[in-house]
Amino acid sequence: MIDFARVQKELQECSRDVEKSGIKVTPKSDGCLARLIGTIPGPSGTPYEDGTFQIEITLPDGYPFEPPKMHFATKVWHPNISSQSGAICLDILKDQWSPALTLKTALLSVQALLSAPQPDDPQDAVVAQQYLRDYQTFVGTARYWTETFAKTSSLGVEEKVQKLVEMGFPEAQARNALEAVGGDENLALEKLCSG
Amino acid sequence: MEDQNLDAVKSEEISDSFVCCVCLDLLYKPIVLHCGHVSCFWCVHKSMSGLRESHCPICRHPYNHFPTVCQMLHFLLLKMYPLAYKARELQILEEEKEIGSFSPQFDADAYNSQSKRDLENSACGEPCVEQLESSSYILANDANIPEQTSDENPEVTGIAIDREKKTPQNWHNGNCKQISIEDVLCAACKQLLFRPVVLNCGHVYCESCTVGIADETIKCQVCQSSHPKGLPKVCLEFGNFLQEQFPEEYALRRDAVQLKQVDSKNGGQTTSSSESSKQGDIMSCSIDSKVHIHVGCDVCGMYPIVGDRYRCKDCVEIIGFDLCGDCYNSRSKLPGRFNQKHTPEHKFELVSPNTSHNIMLRLVTGQIDGGSTLFITDYASENSENGSTPRPLSGVSEEDTENIMVIPATSIDDGAEEDLDDSQTTNQISTENPIEPH
Repeated sequence: MIDFARVQKELQECSRDVEKSGIKVTPKSDGCLARLIGTIPGPSGTPYEDGTFQIEITLPDGYPFEPPKMHFATKVWHPNISSQSGAICLDILKDQWSPALTLKTALLSVQALLSAPQPDDPQDAVVAQQYLRDYQTFVGTARYWTETFAKTSSLGVEEKVQKLVEMGFPEAQARNALEAVGGDENLALEKLCSG
Repeated sequence: MEDQNLDAVKSEEISDSFVCCVCLDLLYKPIVLHCGHVSCFWCVHKSMSGLRESHCPICRHPYNHFPTVCQMLHFLLLKMYPLAYKARELQILEEEKEIGSFSPQFDADAYNSQSKRDLENSACGEPCVEQLESSSYILANDANIPEQTSDENPEVTGIAIDREKKTPQNWHNGNCKQISIEDVLCAACKQLLFRPVVLNCGHVYCESCTVGIADETIKCQVCQSSHPKGLPKVCLEFGNFLQEQFPEEYALRRDAVQLKQVDSKNGGQTTSSSESSKQGDIMSCSIDSKVHIHVGCDVCGMYPIVGDRYRCKDCVEIIGFDLCGDCYNSRSKLPGRFNQKHTPEHKFELVSPNTSHNIMLRLVTGQIDGGSTLFITDYASENSENGSTPRPLSGVSEEDTENIMVIPATSIDDGAEEDLDDSQTTNQISTENPIEPH
């Protein structure tokens, strides 16, 4: 049985310092606390900089005594993350899990994995090969994937906000609406009009 | 009314020191591990591995023994956060009713009379009114627990509840959050704890006092049970809390202890005779040894039991009552870990490890990735082998063999991977509490 009281506490704790860490955990649309979405910013000084990565989290029945199941929903080019499925190769999500770890600390570890790839223990052999043999190409590909897949929602947010403001909506509302619909301009407009 | 209670509970701000790292809630029936980290009774139990040695959730320090609840911390928390602790008690009791196993119940009167005796011995201080209050509080609590209601003297319970009704006003203005030094005395030197360490039995000493006790293994002066694996580490959270609460007294104790250490060094004695045993051997759950998976010793707490296992034939609780070889031979009379109604008259039988469990272990530790089919065939053949050869122990009841015979059949019928879990639990129940095979 999942300890939902603990999950609830974790979410509160996480939202308290979202400004500082940039790490967000929110329940999926159905509101069930066993299925969550985690968001981590790409660490600066890496090809993942300025990207926002979404991670799907499924809590097993034994949580927190069993590790949460996590995989990348955003496509990412990294030796320890499958470029196909988003599966993450990280020991603390497997046998090195401890019940004192939380969703936030686990996501922090995933973020740290982005800055420190371990090509000797790969999840994606193709990426790992490229990382070892042709590092410059690897960096290029990783950056291109970040630009393409991890930025769509944030790309040109300012311009979109500006557009909505020009239509006569207050800036704060426009920003919230955009964020709520994941950055889609038309959906945001619809949301603003429906009240 | 509910809301009022909730608000009141929330008004007791709980120090981060007393938040369990596992459930992220107020510690309930705290257990201090060998490494000095604290967690709730059930949080520790659920974190432990039934297959091999366990690791501290915080520092991953390995350990093999499920320690006893630290009663000093238990009563301290009850005194500091009476409402929140009471709320936790009710919440845990609900969960315990669901799973059918109960955490140990503590008798505040016994604990208080013990600490009062300690006070008289050390000849300091008058009887503490707060202690009386907290004892009545516990009495009233005990009345809520189903097993105990029958034994409870109704008059006493009535009085206790009356008293409890009077006390809440005090709780709100924070009077009873005051704790006194008498609540936190070392079991050996009877002074304020300095750098507290908690033994496997849950009794608390100053770090410097355990050095005095230790020769080869540390033995608790209060309950005479020995602490496995050398000197435990200081419980820093508790130590820091004491330093905050009693800054002057704590500083005095620091000076006194340091002086003592200088003295003993001048005397040419090494104070750390226990250091050598600190690196004591960690139990190796090798596959050949007799590992009783998911079975723990109710006296020393070894979990899983390695070596001989004695099962109580008369305890009816689901969780059973088991002893390891050493504890069986030493005839300890400590109560069970899960509030079992075990009495010294109960009879024991020697139980050999469940073979199917050992196959499980072999599969798990050997990392054989054979899928469920391989597992079931292996499992069935081992079991039929087991059934055909007469088991060497006359102590093992026929029910056991019957149960084992039944299980492979069901697991083959279903043929799904969940069977691993299913058969495991069935087997576990069958060894711990013989039930009718179904």
